[in-house]
Amino acid sequence: MAKSFPYGGYIGQLLRVNLSKKGIMKEDLREDWARDFVGGVGLSARILYQEIPPKIDPLGPENKLVMMTGPVNGTMIPAASRSSICAKSPYTKSFFHSIFGGFLGPELKFAGYDGLIIEGRADKPVYIWIDDDTVEIRDASHLWGKDPFTAEDILRREIGDEEIHIATIGLAGEEKAPYAMILCDIRAAGRGGMGAVMGSKNLKAIVVRGTGGVTVPNMLRVYNTAIRINELFATTPAVQGLSGYGTPRNVAAMNEGGILPTRNWQTETFKGMKNITGEAMREQVVKGDRACFACSINCTKYSVVPNGPYKSIINGADYETIYAFGSICQVDDIRVLCKADELCDHYGIDLISTGVSIGWAMECYEKGIFRKKDTDGIDLHFGNADGMLAMIEKIGKREGLGELLARGTRDAAKIVGKDTGRFAIQNKGLEWPGHTCRPFPAAAVGYATGPRGGSHHDIRPTAEKSGLVDRKIIEGKGAVAAEINHWLILGDSMLICHLGEPIWGPLKISDSMINALNAVTGWELDYEGARKIAEREWNMIRCFSAREGFTREDDQLPARFMEEPVPEGPMQGSHIPKETLERLKDEYYTYRGWDLKTGNPTKQKLVELGLDFAVKDVC
Amino acid sequence: MARVKVKSFSVIRDVLGSEVVEIEVNEPQTVRRLFDELVRRYGQAFKDKIWDPNTGQMAPFLIKLNESMISSTLDIDHQINNGDEIAIIFPIGGG
Ligand code: SF4
Repeated sequence: MAKSFPYGGYIGQLLRVNLSKKGIMKEDLREDWARDFVGGVGLSARILYQEIPPKIDPLGPENKLVMMTGPVNGTMIPAASRSSICAKSPYTKSFFHSIFGGFLGPELKFAGYDGLIIEGRADKPVYIWIDDDTVEIRDASHLWGKDPFTAEDILRREIGDEEIHIATIGLAGEEKAPYAMILCDIRAAGRGGMGAVMGSKNLKAIVVRGTGGVTVPNMLRVYNTAIRINELFATTPAVQGLSGYGTPRNVAAMNEGGILPTRNWQTETFKGMKNITGEAMREQVVKGDRACFACSINCTKYSVVPNGPYKSIINGADYETIYAFGSICQVDDIRVLCKADELCDHYGIDLISTGVSIGWAMECYEKGIFRKKDTDGIDLHFGNADGMLAMIEKIGKREGLGELLARGTRDAAKIVGKDTGRFAIQNKGLEWPGHTCRPFPAAAVGYATGPRGGSHHDIRPTAEKSGLVDRKIIEGKGAVAAEINHWLILGDSMLICHLGEPIWGPLKISDSMINALNAVTGWELDYEGARKIAEREWNMIRCFSAREGFTREDDQLPARFMEEPVPEGPMQGSHIPKETLERLKDEYYTYRGWDLKTGNPTKQKLVELGLDFAVKDVC
Repeated sequence: MARVKVKSFSVIRDVLGSEVVEIEVNEPQTVRRLFDELVRRYGQAFKDKIWDPNTGQMAPFLIKLNESMISSTLDIDHQINNGDEIAIIFPIGGG
């Protein structure tokens, strides 16, 4: 058992599994690191900075995969369901954090661990079985080659326990496909190729059963904090609608506002969107609602297409599915999108990168750069549902054009040439989610400078989308973006779900977030104290990227957003010209105390944040 | 008096009962007055979807007024005219 830990919410123990040496070690969580980096992403960044040397092969045994919880996971704090999976990404080539909901994170704590560090590489397929104190590396030869759902069924039968929680990879992860994901309960660690890192270690699954609990210093305080946050979730207008319609509640409204990315982002209005809205989804396919651990929002939908060519059963669809396969590929049938979602889960591929890569291929086809001989005979015109589904299968199996698209749009465009990089919708190699920045300067600089590139969880456009800040003003947006970064990264270290955005943020770290952290840990952080932790975490991740060789030059936007104004609708004319982006970057770096030339944190900033150890690497 | 068409989606459409409703707005013909009128007509159920009880203010959201975008926070006293079409672009966060 772990020794008693001075702060509430923590177990005080990490589990380290070395797959090369078949070693299993339990080690104490460092108190100072818990205090300085909280948990989740912040703590994982600190561990990985310390433990993996720069420039390693992300798919080599030197890379480590860190699954981490946060202090609030496993308590009654609402939406504190999440866990992080971090590693050096084979996709973006730097530190990456992929966050997932469900139940596995809390279960890991109930088993007695704040986090799990996986290192080395097994010599044959294995899975890790964590049953409270008992931890085993087990043979997974019989699971290799199986899709995640089949593998889960076999594991449940084998272990004889329906209550276990499982993270598993599909075929894509086994084959180290660059954007392979990890399926976890009803959610997924979708982005950045964390599934490929898991596959590179010959690790098929992580299976957890925990029967313990989490201790807090003052139960009544946690209870009252949880009640208050639940009240806020229930009564805050911007959270309402998630229960009924899930994340697709926005589709019709975004289209009306001219901010629904369409036709590989050639425009932001989709005339065929009526059949892919949250309302259409609810009417046609949703059979039930699902929630992650301790979440009263319950945004996850359970959808069934009972028969026909698009027969499918999924947890979803989420907004990102509707964006990536619906408006991006101009497919206007919710049943097809359910099938697309199911196929991505089946193969274990990130659906955003998959859909956006197909959107790019469709534009190549439209422009005559690809012809049927290049697409394995598949008609890839925008709107062809069956062509899109066939291409997902090709990507999953890495066959024909699917082999090229499985590399993602950045690499595919480099191989194809012919200026196709201009409409590859990625930065730092990561394809974009369905949240535009063309009318939103704070979002633009946030996306450009974010450690992951095309991630709407390093920045949120919500403040500008809602008018909380004036989207038409450029001045001051560097600061707005930095403070949004801070609430997001602190949330990803506590591991609370960003869908509670109006309560946790949306412009800066909120009192609710600080109250939840203090109630569980027993700390008495004020705003400045919480902000300093978040700033330290953000700088830690920036140091990781800088040590890998990333500079100001890597903080870019997809060319389309700088060069092509939105052609129609209420946001017509919006774009972020290169000069505007450079001005925003100057402002952002200055606000952060980073060097304007390199974009790296300065010595003074690192010392101020207690990150002195990184000075030799990045200054 | 201005007669305007109000378009809404998702949970707000559920309360208004239809994607488009017509509303008459008396002087002063402003966005604020329009929302007051919607509250009068659709009651607490509508108010719950628009007003944040924790701040006592209307929640921040975008409004499409004909072909331009305005916001509930910055443009609440914006003039509206007879025949205008208004869409409530809300809620606006995203997964
Ligand atoms: S809001 Fe949705 S994704 Fe987030 S914790 Fe709740 S159910 Fe899970």
